[in-house]
Amino acid sequence: MESYVYIALFAPLVSSLFAALFAQKPKVQLVGIATSILIGAALVASVILLLDIEETGKAVSVNLMDWIVVGDLDTKFGFTVDQVTVIMMTVVTLISTVVHVYSNYYMESDKSFNRFFSYLSAFVFSMMILVMSDNFLGLFIGWEGVGVCSWLLIGFWYHKKDETRDVNPSISPSWAANEAFIMNRIADLGMLVGIFLIYWNLGTLKYTEVFAHIGDLSHAMLVGIGIALFIGAMGKSAQFPLHTWLADAMEGPTPVSALIHAATMVTAGVYLVIRANPLYSQIPEVGYGIAVLGTFVAIFAASMALVNRDLKRVIAYSTLSQLGYMFAAAGLGAYWVALFHLAAHAAFKALLFIGAGNVMHAMHDELDMFKMGGLKKVMGWTFLYMGIGSLALSGIYPFAGFFSKDTILEVAFNEHTYGIWFVLWLTAGLTAFYSFRQVFLVFFGDERYHEIGAHPHEAKPYALWAMAPLAIAAVTVGFFKEDFVEFVTKFLPEYEMSEHTEHMVVILTIITTLVALTGIVVAYLKYAKGLKRDLEFEQNNKIYKLLYNQYYIPVIYDRVFAKPYKELSDIAWKEIDMQVVDASVDGIAKFVEKSGDASRKAQNGNLSSYLNWMAAGLVFITVIAAIAVAVQ
Amino acid sequence: MSNILTVLIFFPLIAAILGLFVSQKSIRVYGITVAAAEFLLSLWLWMSFDTNEAGMQFVEKLKLIPEFGISYYLGVDGISLFIVIMATLMTLIGIIALSVKENLKNMIITLLFLEVAMVGVFVSLDVILFYVFWEFSLVPMLYIIGAWGGDKRLYASIKFFIYTFAGSLVMLVGILYVAYAYYSTTGVWSFSLTDWYGLILPFSVQKYLFWAFFLGFAIKVPMVPFHTWLPYAHGQAPTVGSVILAAVLLKMGSYGFVRFSLPLFPDASVAYITPVVIIAIIMIIYTAMVAYAQKDMKQVIAYSSISHMGIIVLGTFAMNVEGIAGSVFQMLSHGIVSGALFLLVGAIYDRRHTKLLSEFGGIAKVMPNYATIFVIMTMASVGLPLTIGFIGEYLSLLGFFKVSPLLTVIAGTSIILGAVYMLSVVKKTFFGPLTNPENEKLKDLSTKELTALIPLVAIVVWLGIYPKPVLGPINNSTKALVQLMHKKSITPKAQEIILVSKDKGVNK
Repeated sequence: MESYVYIALFAPLVSSLFAALFAQKPKVQLVGIATSILIGAALVASVILLLDIEETGKAVSVNLMDWIVVGDLDTKFGFTVDQVTVIMMTVVTLISTVVHVYSNYYMESDKSFNRFFSYLSAFVFSMMILVMSDNFLGLFIGWEGVGVCSWLLIGFWYHKKDETRDVNPSISPSWAANEAFIMNRIADLGMLVGIFLIYWNLGTLKYTEVFAHIGDLSHAMLVGIGIALFIGAMGKSAQFPLHTWLADAMEGPTPVSALIHAATMVTAGVYLVIRANPLYSQIPEVGYGIAVLGTFVAIFAASMALVNRDLKRVIAYSTLSQLGYMFAAAGLGAYWVALFHLAAHAAFKALLFIGAGNVMHAMHDELDMFKMGGLKKVMGWTFLYMGIGSLALSGIYPFAGFFSKDTILEVAFNEHTYGIWFVLWLTAGLTAFYSFRQVFLVFFGDERYHEIGAHPHEAKPYALWAMAPLAIAAVTVGFFKEDFVEFVTKFLPEYEMSEHTEHMVVILTIITTLVALTGIVVAYLKYAKGLKRDLEFEQNNKIYKLLYNQYYIPVIYDRVFAKPYKELSDIAWKEIDMQVVDASVDGIAKFVEKSGDASRKAQNGNLSSYLNWMAAGLVFITVIAAIAVAVQ
Repeated sequence: MSNILTVLIFFPLIAAILGLFVSQKSIRVYGITVAAAEFLLSLWLWMSFDTNEAGMQFVEKLKLIPEFGISYYLGVDGISLFIVIMATLMTLIGIIALSVKENLKNMIITLLFLEVAMVGVFVSLDVILFYVFWEFSLVPMLYIIGAWGGDKRLYASIKFFIYTFAGSLVMLVGILYVAYAYYSTTGVWSFSLTDWYGLILPFSVQKYLFWAFFLGFAIKVPMVPFHTWLPYAHGQAPTVGSVILAAVLLKMGSYGFVRFSLPLFPDASVAYITPVVIIAIIMIIYTAMVAYAQKDMKQVIAYSSISHMGIIVLGTFAMNVEGIAGSVFQMLSHGIVSGALFLLVGAIYDRRHTKLLSEFGGIAKVMPNYATIFVIMTMASVGLPLTIGFIGEYLSLLGFFKVSPLLTVIAGTSIILGAVYMLSVVKKTFFGPLTNPENEKLKDLSTKELTALIPLVAIVVWLGIYPKPVLGPINNSTKALVQLMHKKSITPKAQEIILVSKDKGVNK
């Protein structure tokens, strides 16, 4: 089985390096095909591992080599494939394979076709390191690696220029890329602190050893570690207040949004909390905090999705919102529920994004949904796929989201955290509304695209075929819930609903479905028949403007952090470094020069003047000596 | 060859003198050949180095002035070995990448003299010998900046010289006092560092000596507020001068802390952790901000150097193996990465004769190889795992975390601020539309430039993934160093803070 571990891990690396050979050459179709096959090989290896672990129930571990060995620190490149890992691996490689195949279509006329595949495969490699490492430092390699690949891919179209926020809320791809990198770095500092705490308290960073001795630590220390690691998770999973980068990351090519900013990288934070469940189980108060924050993010992000007109941003906010759901589940101790929603969400969210990619291609990169409409006629398959994705996201039976999201609501109910339950319930309604607002605006109603002279067309057949596995997953995953639970709870703690909750399940399901259906119906009534804009409302309604401008948070960050930092830096350089520090150095030098210059006059060659100085010196020394004697 | 260190010192010296008789035409080939031979010699030193031995190796001792205990005393251990190799490597790369045309012969001969001084500083175990090389290194650099520099080259070179010289003089007083103290205790004169290691000084004496040495090293590093000579020196120096200054000469200061301050004055070092580290933190954050404010690409790298040196000082004063070994590794990492970045800035300066960021934008399109290497070095500079930059920074912070979690978190902002100024440079230089018509015809890196840069890229990746060949010997020698410090420390606080590893290492 070890060899499959190596295949899963290194096939993406080989893929990336192979594509890199052609990075500066014009499009080579072979690059797209070869990378897709190599990532597919990683998928096959992951599935084989999945079946093996299913059968044996035993984790597969490999040790590659030493990495950092200093003092008492002994870090190896070690990888363990257990139940959680193998689920993550399968999810990551499945979505990656689909996205690689699809990118052959999406990027077909891009000048940097080969470079794109090199970055994309490098991302998969980093993500595999992240989920497969058997220690925190190995996880950190993947953690930073996906960050860099995300930076490269958000800024893939680096040649675009900076715009004002009114023209492009993300300013430019390169700006958005830097924002994402820097914001993640803020969180990474928290992660590093968590790693430092673990090392100095337990002397190891290996998961099995850390979690075996986690009980030896004081409660306060556990809380510290838990919070520090979660700060790291907040960056990657774009939780408030480090969330702004995710919507701006939509500047990247759409397959990137599907893979990195929906299905895989952004769930790394959730993965971390699930992975560290022995830690978080000891500190339920931190877990509760995580759940509350997740719940807040769920509704906060959903509210912004309600009014946005940008096709991709709406999906980005919904990703943010769903990540909030996952954290709510993980925070409340229902780790397998979080993992299940993670897997289901990966499938239907990637499907939605790829569908959006088809729409963008059809619309010549237009993103404003108000300029679309009626695309159902020309893009039947895409409509079907996005419809499935939206139904799954809204949590309608029998689609995946119904099973995964409903369980999270049940957990919130079961924990008697009714506030969390209510907010998540309400968010479910909002989710259904904005998802179908999108579907209706894009595919139904009047064909507004004629005004901008677009000639929409359906994507190529192989691109549509590539999407099929995701659609199938979005429809069927829910039915494997029992198998999933049985499989992962061999590793993760089980989560039992109380008898009271069991009784309530039917009622809970009904009211959740009702709120989702209400959302869909409202969206239908408002948007399905065509777009009637209320311009006065859009311009004057404060709440609308607040939501549309993302609560003005990007602007506030700009004013409170970015600009003052720039100004302070200027002051540090021009005022302090030049005017104070360097000026004093030169001042000392000048003083020495001046005093030398002044005393030079004493050397005037006049003998009587020299004698005067000698006498003065003699008197001076005598006085000093007298004082010295007197003091003694 | 038992006197390999002598050969390493004197081979470039003899070659430099012989170089006077080489014709202008063939001087470049001559320079590269000599530097390559010297580099291979230093590699041979590594090959013959016993990696299980923590103490000094290849020791040579010859009495020069026995009355005062001054001798010609050389040796390397895991801490100095790789700095020596880096010095010879960066000299070679600097000469390969040389783009000066005027007085090329003088430049190459000067560089060879500088190499003598650099190797000498790091292998000297006699303190007077160390001091001679230390001061001697100023002269070739003074000449390089003064003769090949920009408009304000004389100001910059004299500032560099006088400032660092002034610091060294205070250190010299300290050196003489330690020698006197040694004489007072043992009755014999000795300037041998290994003899001094056995000397236990009372704290009241240590504290003055600590600061005397500190001043000499701090100006060299340079630590804030003694740093302002550096931006001028970099701003005016030709590319090769900046490369060697950043890669090797600054390391003399941080090496001094590890080689002298810690083992000679362990109690004072522990007692003054807080003030030193607060300076280091100011250095890290303040110069990161100043770097962000710069309009000139080279000045960004210059100030970023100071910021990174702050991490090195932090790691050194962690007083445990993790931190000190990390700081020694970070010295190498910073040498390679900042050296490469200065080469890259030099490459663009040769083409456009400007380093102003506002002149550029979008040049990734016309110079893809250049952009790729610049981005790799940027990632190493911001400490991305699997590049050389991560390991030293991580270990330094990890080590100091044991001493003070709070201060480490503040210092750790360097991973954020470093990304801010470096990514800002990358964005301003490479991304966005290509608007300046002068940039449209820029040529990508030449073979010569690639020859100089690709080995550095390879090292960045290799040591990022597999640091063991280098980190192993550093680890052994650092363990021995920490044990020595622990053994000779006298104050209870030092006993407590100096942390000997549980794993005692393979000291056979």
